[in-house]
Amino acid sequence: MSDWRILSTIAAVGAASYAMRVSGFLAAGALPNTGALRRLLRLAPGNMFIAFAAASCFEGGWPSLAGGLSSLTTMVVTKREWAALTAGFAAAAMAAAFRPG
Amino acid sequence: MAMGIINSTEDLRHPLFTTLAARRGAVAALPFIASNGAAGIVMGVAYKGLGLGFLPAVLFSLIVYSATAQAVILGMWSVPPPATAMVVACIVTNARYLLMGVHLRQLFAEVPLRKMLPTLFLLADASWLMTTADSERNGPDAGYLLGSSIPMAIGWIGGTALGYGLPLQPAGALSVAAALLPLAFIVTLLPTQWRGLETALPWSVAAVTAMLVTSLVGQSWAMLIGGSAGTLISFIRGDDV
Repeated sequence: MSDWRILSTIAAVGAASYAMRVSGFLAAGALPNTGALRRLLRLAPGNMFIAFAAASCFEGGWPSLAGGLSSLTTMVVTKREWAALTAGFAAAAMAAAFRPG
Repeated sequence: MAMGIINSTEDLRHPLFTTLAARRGAVAALPFIASNGAAGIVMGVAYKGLGLGFLPAVLFSLIVYSATAQAVILGMWSVPPPATAMVVACIVTNARYLLMGVHLRQLFAEVPLRKMLPTLFLLADASWLMTTADSERNGPDAGYLLGSSIPMAIGWIGGTALGYGLPLQPAGALSVAAALLPLAFIVTLLPTQWRGLETALPWSVAAVTAMLVTSLVGQSWAMLIGGSAGTLISFIRGDDV
């Protein structure tokens, strides 16, 4: 397979990827900065976070669930990110090691 | 009282892009060098398995720079590569960036485009989430977005090169850490978004919807659709009014 064909495919996909990254930002400049839009964007992050976390746990199975819950609990108690991450890794590793099958 | 992402109109009049915030973001995201690096290694090994050269493999991670899109495209690979289908797949899997971009415009409306457009090249799920949380704690500063994005890019691109060049078998603790870190980082941000019991219903809807979407369509759409469902519930109930 010729290199130019591979490189042109990479360039096309890369252009699409960058276009998606900047399009929302640029288009938002033309949108009305109304109270409703502000409210939606203010409410969105928390719901996005929990949706991401739930999907990741669902996809990753018991190790992800154990790691995620352990990180969350540790963060609530200690308010230290490094402690939360360490606890999450430890819990996920243990869950993976002892996973049946 | 509900805390907003945009704390006041004052924040919009004085947008920031500071070195201090960039440094803070870079330090906070340092662990992503390891986790994205581990995931990048997996991608590098996969590219080598396809028969791609070293340069195209690294360029994929450098120019496309999207683990989800690259994973989908990897599954579509054939000779010759179906470029149009791959572009469409990339647009679909990266649609969530549209919402992130709209949100970032709210935060950084007056930051010059000559600074924002290059910064957005490195936009990732995790750097958006971290920037959102940091803007609530310290006020909006686009420097944080750039700073937190850099370690993630170094890990991903460097990991791809390493995976291609080294005879590695990604397994065991390496794969567990790579899979868990984005999730672990996101859950550490959840407490900043909890607004009391009123949050429980929309978050439940968001979580259940996200899991349904994951099982039916795939994880790349889960955050967008699940998060939107929860946001709609919050909006209709007037949770922040």
